[in-house]
Amino acid sequence: MIQLNDIQKKYEMGDQILTVLDNIHLEIANHEFVAIMGPSGSGKSTLMNILGCLDQPSYGTYRLEGMDIFKQTQTSLAAIRNQHIGFVFQQFQLLPKLTAEMNVELPLIYAGVKKQERKERAQEALRKVGLGERMKHFPNQLSGGQKQRVAIARAIINDPSLILADEPTGALDTSSGEQVMALFEALHREGATIVVVTHEAEVADYARRVVTLRDGEIMNDGGRETCPSSTV
Amino acid sequence: MSFIDSLKMALRSLWSHKMRSILTMLGIIIGVGAVITVVAIGRGGEAMLTSQFAGGGNDTFEVYYNPSDEEWMSGEDPYSKTQYTEEDILAIESIPAVDQVIAYAQNSTEVGYREEEAMAQVVALNEGYYELHELEVTSGRLLDDRDSDMGRRIAAVNEGFVEEFFEDVQNPIGEIVDIENTSFQIVGVFTRENQSIFDLEMDEILIPQTVWPMLYGTDDMDMLNVQATSADDIQEAGDETTQLLNEGHSLAGEYEVLNMEEIQEGISQVTNITTMIIGSVAGIALIVGGIGVMNIMLVSVTERTKEIGLRKSLGATRGNIVSQFLIESMTLTTIGGLIGIGLGAGLANTVALIAGWPLLISLPVILLGIGFSMVIGIIFGLLPANKAAKLDPVEAMRYE
Ligand SMILES: Nc1ncnc2c1ncn2[C@@H]1O[C@H](COP(=O)(O)OP(=O)(O)OP(=O)(O)O)[C@@H](O)[C@H]1O
Ligand SMILES: [Mg+2]
Repeated sequence: MIQLNDIQKKYEMGDQILTVLDNIHLEIANHEFVAIMGPSGSGKSTLMNILGCLDQPSYGTYRLEGMDIFKQTQTSLAAIRNQHIGFVFQQFQLLPKLTAEMNVELPLIYAGVKKQERKERAQEALRKVGLGERMKHFPNQLSGGQKQRVAIARAIINDPSLILADEPTGALDTSSGEQVMALFEALHREGATIVVVTHEAEVADYARRVVTLRDGEIMNDGGRETCPSSTV
Repeated sequence: MSFIDSLKMALRSLWSHKMRSILTMLGIIIGVGAVITVVAIGRGGEAMLTSQFAGGGNDTFEVYYNPSDEEWMSGEDPYSKTQYTEEDILAIESIPAVDQVIAYAQNSTEVGYREEEAMAQVVALNEGYYELHELEVTSGRLLDDRDSDMGRRIAAVNEGFVEEFFEDVQNPIGEIVDIENTSFQIVGVFTRENQSIFDLEMDEILIPQTVWPMLYGTDDMDMLNVQATSADDIQEAGDETTQLLNEGHSLAGEYEVLNMEEIQEGISQVTNITTMIIGSVAGIALIVGGIGVMNIMLVSVTERTKEIGLRKSLGATRGNIVSQFLIESMTLTTIGGLIGIGLGAGLANTVALIAGWPLLISLPVILLGIGFSMVIGIIFGLLPANKAAKLDPVEAMRYE
């Protein structure tokens, strides 16, 4: 499903060139649950943004479900993000003026789904993450764990094939973090492909495979026994 | 993403900053309101002035005497020898371009009732007078040509006259008043319609034209109005009438007519210039308002950088973001425009009521106002919307 080939990402800061990612080869098959670990500043978020079609590398190719991502127009990238990818962020990124239900509806608005269907599907997704009772709550009326579950409902509303979570438990206490990870596990069992960035070993334990970054390069790619197609 | 969804989104966002939205609209409200008011007042005023000069637009013009400088200096009344004689009237009536001549005599004089005496305007008229002046009978009747033919000593008075003379009388009809030692019986009471702010409210008493010589010993008329056979003939009828009078009287001054076309043009010009001046002030207000909208939209884009990044990560295209902000600024200015139209119409209506001219707010002006505020929203929304659409989603979401 995902093929990253020789990805390099550089930032030019004045006359200094900062190489954030280098020589990244990574294949992730359908239905994998991958954790990306590494010290702060090692390039995990940068890699996630590239996987999520939000950022372009300086060099390399990226194939997602057969599509050559770096050859797509802005508009089709937007459509790919909308249809194929679900994001979960560390800081939830919910819109404060919208209820939980309306936050979850957002991707469907850009997918051109009609109001009635949007509402039904948003409610269904919220029930799925255990927030059937909190549909009309605004983000500031929800706990951190509940906010992150709203964000997960929003990520899965369009049935994406790939779910990307950048430190989804980073702002949560242990027990809400566990609830969130349990949700990811359930989604994985249903067939979703999940990539989670984390610092925490407990979180990485949920994954079948752990990729470790250091200074922008893949240090270690373990737990490959569940991933026969990998060629790295 | 449908327009309705975008509109709802825009309204929600504007509603969440009510105070700011209203203050931002203010420039547009004032601009559009001023345009609507000024245009309506200009047109109303023009309509009123025109109808006042044009005598109701029945192809009639008034002839008047314009004394020479020497006559003004002589110390005598320059109008004392300028009355229109019977021959004048007959001659003018025979001009082909003239349909009819409406002449009447008037004089401000003492009128007596029982022991009282007071000044009133006496007008000696025949039926043609009613074509120039719209009178409404409030009781009794007006004078007609038969009264004139038979030389009846009867009179019709206006409400002001009734108040002045018949305060203690239940019904003025049938009462007798004296003018120049001649008795007249009141047969009717009237009011003037379309009384304008330029008309002095005088106590008036109308008497049959043929009775006039008995009072003043002359059948010369003071006022002369000529009705042309058609609007196109007004110019010709006017020229021939004045030529005839000037030759017949050979006075130092000249008889003249008001040239309706020139007056019409003059009025239009004055109102157009005023409308243009105030209109351009209003236009500047609109532009300043538009810049205010742009400013607030730019602030809004900066404030919502994170939101924009998030929306993009959820699948919003550049077009979606552009239309979100354009619709927002357009909604802002259109609501402002609608409020401005409402206020402007209210103001114009009040002015029209007070000044007594017609309220002339036409649909095109309203549509123009709405269209203009929309266009302002689009023009001044483009820059902020474009700025928002170009944001890099990764940078935007990292924005603090
Ligand atoms: N826009 C940018 N301009 C310059 N340098 C950048 C930019 N974005 C990221 N970097 C640099 O790239 C490196 C990797 O950043 P990234 O956010 O991917 O790290 P990370 O592994 O996610 O770290 P953390 O665990 O702290 O989130 C950092 O050294 C950062 O300073
Ligand atoms: Mg990071």
